[in-house]
Amino acid sequence: MRLEIRDGCFGYRGGSPILDKVCLQADSGDLIAVLGPNGAGKTTMLRCMLGFLKWTSGDSLLDGKSIRSIPARELWRCVSYVPQARNFASASTAEQAVLLGRNAHIGLFSQPKPSDIDYADSLLYKLSIGHLAQKSCAEMSGGELQMVLIARALAAEPKILVLDEPESNLDFRNQLIVLETMTELARQGMTVIFNTHYPDHALRRSNKALLLHKGGQALFGETHSIVTEAHIQDAFHVRTVIGEIETDERIYRSILPLELAGEASEIAPDTHRIATVSVILRNDAQAMQVNDILHEYSRYLVGRMGLPYRKAGVHIINVTLDAPQSDIIALTETLGRIPDCSVKATYA
Amino acid sequence: MKRSRAGALHPAWMIALLILPILLGLAALCIGRISYPLPEILKVLAAKCTGGAVDKQMNIVIWSIRMPRILLAMLVGAGLSVAGCAFQSLFSNPLATPDTLGVASGTSFGAALALLLGCNLLGVQGIAFAFGILAVTLTWLSAAGKGRGLSSVVLAGIMIGSLFSSLVSLVKFTADTETQLPAITYWLMGSLSGAGFASLKWGAPCIAAGILVLFLLRWQLNVLPLGEDEAKSLGSNIRLLRIVTVICATAVTASSVAMCGQVGWVGLLIPHICRMAFGNDHRAIIPASVSLGAAFLVVVDTLARSISAAEIPISVLTAIIGAPFFIILMRRSRGWRL
Repeated sequence: MRLEIRDGCFGYRGGSPILDKVCLQADSGDLIAVLGPNGAGKTTMLRCMLGFLKWTSGDSLLDGKSIRSIPARELWRCVSYVPQARNFASASTAEQAVLLGRNAHIGLFSQPKPSDIDYADSLLYKLSIGHLAQKSCAEMSGGELQMVLIARALAAEPKILVLDEPESNLDFRNQLIVLETMTELARQGMTVIFNTHYPDHALRRSNKALLLHKGGQALFGETHSIVTEAHIQDAFHVRTVIGEIETDERIYRSILPLELAGEASEIAPDTHRIATVSVILRNDAQAMQVNDILHEYSRYLVGRMGLPYRKAGVHIINVTLDAPQSDIIALTETLGRIPDCSVKATYA
Repeated sequence: MKRSRAGALHPAWMIALLILPILLGLAALCIGRISYPLPEILKVLAAKCTGGAVDKQMNIVIWSIRMPRILLAMLVGAGLSVAGCAFQSLFSNPLATPDTLGVASGTSFGAALALLLGCNLLGVQGIAFAFGILAVTLTWLSAAGKGRGLSSVVLAGIMIGSLFSSLVSLVKFTADTETQLPAITYWLMGSLSGAGFASLKWGAPCIAAGILVLFLLRWQLNVLPLGEDEAKSLGSNIRLLRIVTVICATAVTASSVAMCGQVGWVGLLIPHICRMAFGNDHRAIIPASVSLGAAFLVVVDTLARSISAAEIPISVLTAIIGAPFFIILMRRSRGWRL
């Protein structure tokens, strides 16, 4: 299922435009981050995309059909929306809240069937919040409530999940729980689109990103080409540096804000560099996946070595590339999203 | 209190709630200026079907006086409670009721106006309904927007309510002091003494239909309090749902007011007792409100007609119970959510 925004423009009547020619393509398995400074219209973008607000021009299309022309019940069985948790006010229990998510499958004058209740309960356990079933939403912590809201959205059995700032106002651990859940859903083939205040989360988790600027312009593309020092400076007016943090298994890229700044200077040209990318994997299926990914970069490959090490049950792959640096980053990021895969690049 | 899975009513509770108003109704049949023992009552009731011989006076007291009155009390009690539930869900506000939203005042004005114009019961209901809708729309619009918080809805309701109350005074002022004024005044205080099968025939279908639709919508009433985007994203047609809910709840209120004046506080008292007992799921609260509302008003009406030699207006009694309850709720309502 493909969700697409074509040249979406939006502005309130009499005001200046908030969104200008936003484009976005979301396919199955995509994890897409929507970034932008406060007031750039991130939530507005989501609301327009889902048809809560009407684009002044342009359109949102679901498999080529305008989203506003799809009957509500049909649309909301494919697409689910997780609103900001801080606007949520209800004293119902988690179980009841999640059951509400089945609503698109329940007729106007009908009641939820036992199968609906079972599905809602199974979701609570799947997301490891079974113990909250009888707890009132009014008494939950932010992290608990966020997971309940995600469970409620999943209760509709959607193919596309849209979340509005799911990890805001959460602590470290709860942020990770939410991000891990989203990553896992995308891995299972769901399309996940989320608003976030954290460029780091986009960098670490998403394969595509939409960067919104105050004043309306929007950039969309692969995360490594969108979340760059120059683009972030343009959008946030903050000088940043994207650094690397190394663990035994991987190198993580992380973004660090340095100082307030104006718009970015010249974008540095993308230089060709030579690098060796080393990969250690846990199983055969993953090795096939890695081979598929490497195939897309075959024009840059200058050397390649693959070695199954049966005794320890691991695969070792080494490739040397002569490629633009952004492509090398893209490759390591893509490989890094495979679970239990150790990846590092060493530059010449 | 045992709850069945996911907030719906446990079957045992369902049966208990079904039986309670029937038992209280039978008890109310026994009590009055003349008391009858229960076996006699049952004999009279059975005679209606089988056609046996019964005491003539007793037959009249039961079938022409007490029975319609008890049925009316049940209908109005159930109706106002369900309407209260529906308004609370619609405004996602625990303090929203026909009284606090100004709907009751609006319908009272409509009904008083219709009485002044000499309309029949159907006309009274129709005009009362029109002004009820007007009142709730005005309250909705005054409290709309970002500030649709707990207090702004109630404040708007109080303003709209007092507007219509003063219009009622205007109607009284222009009414004929010999005949119309006492009639309007007594009727406004609320009394079920006018009940008869003739008036029930006009008013009951409207209340029953309103209750039935809201009962069928009980699952959707869970969706209604959510934010607009949220409710939409659950696949509900939120506009249609709101309109149907407003029409049903207002129609029930209007018919009640037209038949027995302004019986206050029921729409606040009963839904909240149900919420305390059965949680927040309207699949449980709506049926419970129907049952407990009916039971409550039968009890209060029986008290109103048997406590003293002269009948006490029913709204006086409901207010004496309701006002302190409302204050307790207000004090508790910090963090009180639907």
